[in-house]
Amino acid sequence: MKYEYYSNWSATDDFSVVDFVSVGKHGSISKRIEIIPTRSHGVYNLALGDMDNSGNFNDYTTSDNGDRDKILATVIKVIEDYTRKYPDRWIYFAGSTPERTRLYRIVVGLHLEDLSKLFEIFAEVADKQAFQPFQKNIQLVAFLIRRKII
Amino acid sequence: MKKAIKSKSILFKQEATIVIDEKLNALKGKIMAPKKLAEANRHLKKMKSLPK
Repeated sequence: MKYEYYSNWSATDDFSVVDFVSVGKHGSISKRIEIIPTRSHGVYNLALGDMDNSGNFNDYTTSDNGDRDKILATVIKVIEDYTRKYPDRWIYFAGSTPERTRLYRIVVGLHLEDLSKLFEIFAEVADKQAFQPFQKNIQLVAFLIRRKII
Repeated sequence: MKKAIKSKSILFKQEATIVIDEKLNALKGKIMAPKKLAEANRHLKKMKSLPK
């Protein structure tokens, strides 16, 4: 993949929390990725958000720092490392708004060939009770991703 | 105490430098995005099964 990602992280030893710094037009913004178990066995939810100076996490804020692609590349790299460590776990994630989920869909669609070499990628589609294999332009509400057994 | 590890990528040409931070380890198990987690649980409950 041609994009760069933020390559300096602080993390917990189980990669359930990864911190990095976004650098852009609004300066330096502390970002956090959290990956924690859901009630569905083997499924872990990924949340991405900003950290404020008080240590509070906000995953519904819009930083608009001009580095969207770099941040998404960082999320993908974190998923790569997390699923290397835990190849049996599913990662579930959705944007905090439908517009953000749509943006993620576009990015995944653009890099589907590369991503599919490493991951099984499924989509949750509204009103369907089964996950569908991801396809470009699919109208999804969330992603479900797992490392491929190569 | 902090430990740094390097992580190469199959997808990217870069290498990540990851500092394992004991202060962050204290956060393990805490839920920082409860609303997002509740939403995920609500959606997942509706799904009949996971992909095989």
